[in-house]
Amino acid sequence: MKRLSIFTRGLIKENAVLVLMIGLCPALATSGTVRDGFGMGLAATFVLFFSNIIISMMRKVIPNEVRIPIFILIISTFVTIIDYFMQAFQPDLYRALGVFVPLIVVNCMILGRAEAYASKNPVLNSALDGLGVGLGFTLTLTVMGAIREILGNGTLLGMSVFGEGFKNAPVIFLILPPGAFLVIGVLKALLNKYYK
Amino acid sequence: MTSTRAMVVTLLVVAIICSVVLSFVYSYTGPRIEETQKELILVGLKEVIKADIFTAVVSDTVWEAMDSTNNVLGIVFRVFPQGYGGPIPIMVGLDLEGSITGIRIASAAEGLKETPGLGVKITEPDFRDQFIGKTLENILIKKDGGDIDAITAATISSRAVCNGIKQGIEKYASYLCPPFDKCRVFPEAFDFTEIIPEVLWYAIKENDTLGIVIVGGVQGYAEKIEFIVGVADGMRITGVEILRSNETPGIGEAIRDKVFLNSFKDRIPDAITGATISSKALIEGVQEKIEEFKGYLK
Repeated sequence: MKRLSIFTRGLIKENAVLVLMIGLCPALATSGTVRDGFGMGLAATFVLFFSNIIISMMRKVIPNEVRIPIFILIISTFVTIIDYFMQAFQPDLYRALGVFVPLIVVNCMILGRAEAYASKNPVLNSALDGLGVGLGFTLTLTVMGAIREILGNGTLLGMSVFGEGFKNAPVIFLILPPGAFLVIGVLKALLNKYYK
Repeated sequence: MTSTRAMVVTLLVVAIICSVVLSFVYSYTGPRIEETQKELILVGLKEVIKADIFTAVVSDTVWEAMDSTNNVLGIVFRVFPQGYGGPIPIMVGLDLEGSITGIRIASAAEGLKETPGLGVKITEPDFRDQFIGKTLENILIKKDGGDIDAITAATISSRAVCNGIKQGIEKYASYLCPPFDKCRVFPEAFDFTEIIPEVLWYAIKENDTLGIVIVGGVQGYAEKIEFIVGVADGMRITGVEILRSNETPGIGEAIRDKVFLNSFKDRIPDAITGATISSKALIEGVQEKIEEFKGYLK
């Protein structure tokens, strides 16, 4: 049961974006559509999951003084791997996410989990922690993407939702960068009201 | 307190392992990435001009479009004019007369950075298809005195598209030339003035002579090989094309091979194995003609 809670706490209770308020930059920039938000979330989850496992495995041999460069090396290796695979198999998504894929390297959410959790806990727990936090991030970005895409562009996954009439005058504001702040604010308010 | 040596060694080992892993991943995905990018470009090329074969004239920027029997139909070029939110990636097809056969603007998912709901409307058919059939003169938005209806509240993006296409045509139209024409061996030039009828021309760009174009002939293995060659000032060969030849099919006709002809641009190539007589004849013919007319070069 304790293991399960390691996994689930990252989903909502300690959600990186909405509760800990970290990893906000990619959350704002890549949640314009459901596809982008989901894709970015999965990419970050992949990196978080594997870097947590490797760092946890190596926690006893990493000298304390050089732990940060080693974390960054490991994280950036996984980021480069996902970057290559996206370029090869999901070129459209890759171009839409743009610079935010390489920037996963310096996403404080990932380095934060490495430093605060994986470097101090056993492998299985670290894997669960990475997966939970990553999926929490994915969930947030997907929900934000859905809200912004439906109201801001009148589409969901690129398909029209409300028909032609709405398409001409959607709430464009929501798909622009300030709209992301608004959506994060609303989601955080809802979370505070119903989860405490 | 860890010893310095332990720190260095750990860091080094981790870095080496990471590099090895990445090189494996790259050796697997690298070719696939290239293929994906080529496929994407080909899809775009086919959207702007109805052709079967595309050969890059300027790598990643200008392509020549041909039908399945190698007849030249036109060119396609890419431009990236500065829009409102960033560069706008546009692909433009031109037929041999210089009018637009189609344009393709990358969608937001493909990297277009214009404002959602406003600027991105430049990708919609209503705007895009206005360009079909237009030539250099009338590609301007109506506000600027042209024929293109700008998108309401997205004048900057609309204007950027027009200007980008216009500048692209000005820059790349010189690549647009019928087969066997002088411009094929001297793509940098815009105009040619005859010095000796049917034999020698000056290649001209904006009132400057850049070099000469020579038509010549030489005895091949079977019949006379006629060729056209461009030479820029400083004795640099800009291109060689075969106008007429009737060498042995599959052997001597190898002199028509693009790779062989293109190799003239760097230095005088070696003869082709298996087609020694024909290729030597051509190489010597080209050298002789350049020698004969080099007095016209600066």
